[in-house]
Amino acid sequence: MANLEVYRHNRVTRFTHWINAIALMILFMSGLMIFNAHPHLYWGSTSEPEKAFFSIGATNEDSDLRGYVRLYGQQLDTTGFLGVQQGALGPNRRAFPNWLTVPGYYSLASGRRWHFFFGWLFALNGFLYVVYNLAVGHMRKFLFTLKDAAKVPAMIAYYLRLKKHSPQEGEYNPLQKMAYTSVFVILTPLVLLSGMAMSPQLNVAFHWLPAMFGGRQSARAIHFVLAFGFLCFTFGHVFMVLTQGFINNMRSMITGWYRDKIPGTEEPPWPASERRPDIARALKEENASSQTNVPAPPAATTVEVEKAQAVPIVSPEAPASASSTEKEGEKDGEPKS
Amino acid sequence: MANRNPKLSRRNLLLGALHGTGLLVLSGCQRVFDSLSRNDTVQSILEAAESGNRRVQRLLTGRAKLAQEFTDKEISPTFRANGNPPPITMEYTADAQNQWTKWRLEVSGLVKQPTSFSLTDLKAMPSRTQITRHDCVEGWSVIGKWKGVRLEEIMNRVQPMTEAKYVVFRCMDTDSDGNNYFESIDLIDAVHPQTILAYELNDRPVPIDNGAPLRLRIENQLGYKHAKYIRALEFVASLQKIGQGKGGYWEDQGYEWYAGI
Repeated sequence: MANLEVYRHNRVTRFTHWINAIALMILFMSGLMIFNAHPHLYWGSTSEPEKAFFSIGATNEDSDLRGYVRLYGQQLDTTGFLGVQQGALGPNRRAFPNWLTVPGYYSLASGRRWHFFFGWLFALNGFLYVVYNLAVGHMRKFLFTLKDAAKVPAMIAYYLRLKKHSPQEGEYNPLQKMAYTSVFVILTPLVLLSGMAMSPQLNVAFHWLPAMFGGRQSARAIHFVLAFGFLCFTFGHVFMVLTQGFINNMRSMITGWYRDKIPGTEEPPWPASERRPDIARALKEENASSQTNVPAPPAATTVEVEKAQAVPIVSPEAPASASSTEKEGEKDGEPKS
Repeated sequence: MANRNPKLSRRNLLLGALHGTGLLVLSGCQRVFDSLSRNDTVQSILEAAESGNRRVQRLLTGRAKLAQEFTDKEISPTFRANGNPPPITMEYTADAQNQWTKWRLEVSGLVKQPTSFSLTDLKAMPSRTQITRHDCVEGWSVIGKWKGVRLEEIMNRVQPMTEAKYVVFRCMDTDSDGNNYFESIDLIDAVHPQTILAYELNDRPVPIDNGAPLRLRIENQLGYKHAKYIRALEFVASLQKIGQGKGGYWEDQGYEWYAGI
């Protein structure tokens, strides 16, 4: 077992990741502030009061203020958390508590300011990430394919400790790929579109925008639900980071370098050129210019590796990868520690 | 069943630490966000998004593009009223009972022909009827049928000067401190085909709660732009000297002047 450092996250990924983390947190919390202004959800174009399918509210019987959450007629007492919280001057009516909103005090105007600024930041930051990583081929590594779908049960079994070996091939396991891909392909586009579908001016520009969700109020409801989709993803993501090597994961998202364990017997440390198409290409170009002959990797292995999108291990020991390590470091302008 | 000390298990330690840091981080964050929200510099940075919204959204919308119009069947059973209570002056209530015989719409400012219109004058002008959705900044929506005179029609009669950039709507309703409601839009939105001064809601005179006798409909923006209880229009070149300079009653309290989002 040797500890090898892998250059896992490029500079753009690291930068956009942290911007995204901040933006999502503020978007979620300022979104809850905006929701507090009218804590009811409806389907359709309009909001007839009796047709709300979801409400957070308060009842006041015999001056006993009780908070509740109601979903399709099912009511749950949530006093202290949702609907009614204990304030300095006694119980206080408020859908989401102040510690979950931005700002903490009630201000729809301020909540909107935060939300729209960080909405732009979230969208532009995401755009930068996607364009750059599509260009360098990074996003391919966690694209969830049918082949990965077939491995999902095995991965779940592995997590539940019913199986000894992970079906993971490559940097990301099938469940990770599923999570990331659904965030990129489903969650993010829909949250942006449903958000824009609430804008009166964009409704004028694109009548199909609210229509695709079934009306403006439906878009608002879906936007709310998707926000909790992001919350679930974030909880899962943070949980995995905390449990799967917190320091190592944090370092890789700050410096780019991830320390990987290479079980020598199970997985030979293949040259990086076989595992990373981008590195292979760079090496090829380099070799073509310097006219040195690097032995081609065995054909069978290459095919297998490409299919599986195997782990890009940049081993400082291997001569081929040593040069690529330097290359990555150079490209990034950050010398390896 | 050997190692079962609940207080010392790694999981509990981790969860406990997580819980503690979580609470600390949350209360810390709240304080930070609250002070940032009250900080003028931070607010002015956040406000930068507003002009972005206005420019991009207008770029995406053709000038003559209409807001979606609905059918009679889709009209909401009640058109929810919001904001300040209706005016309570004797003058207003007495005039309401007299079918607005005293009420006049005064149009002044940077116009070649300052004019005042009676409700009868307005009703005699070409009208537009539209069934549109009203979206409140709070998040709710209602559909109503509005009939009124296009603002552009008024503009054709009063002839705004070339330096006029905005129309300010002076209203009769006040908040609990006695401040009058007012709003403003620019002339790009003013000449939009669906921008009307409405005197009918759902085939009846605009009810008191919804802004009698005359209110604005500006279908590409949120509800607070739709000034109710209008008494005067003023054409101006700048909003700086209107109210606290942000162009509207709610704008002076931090809401966006451009409410297309």
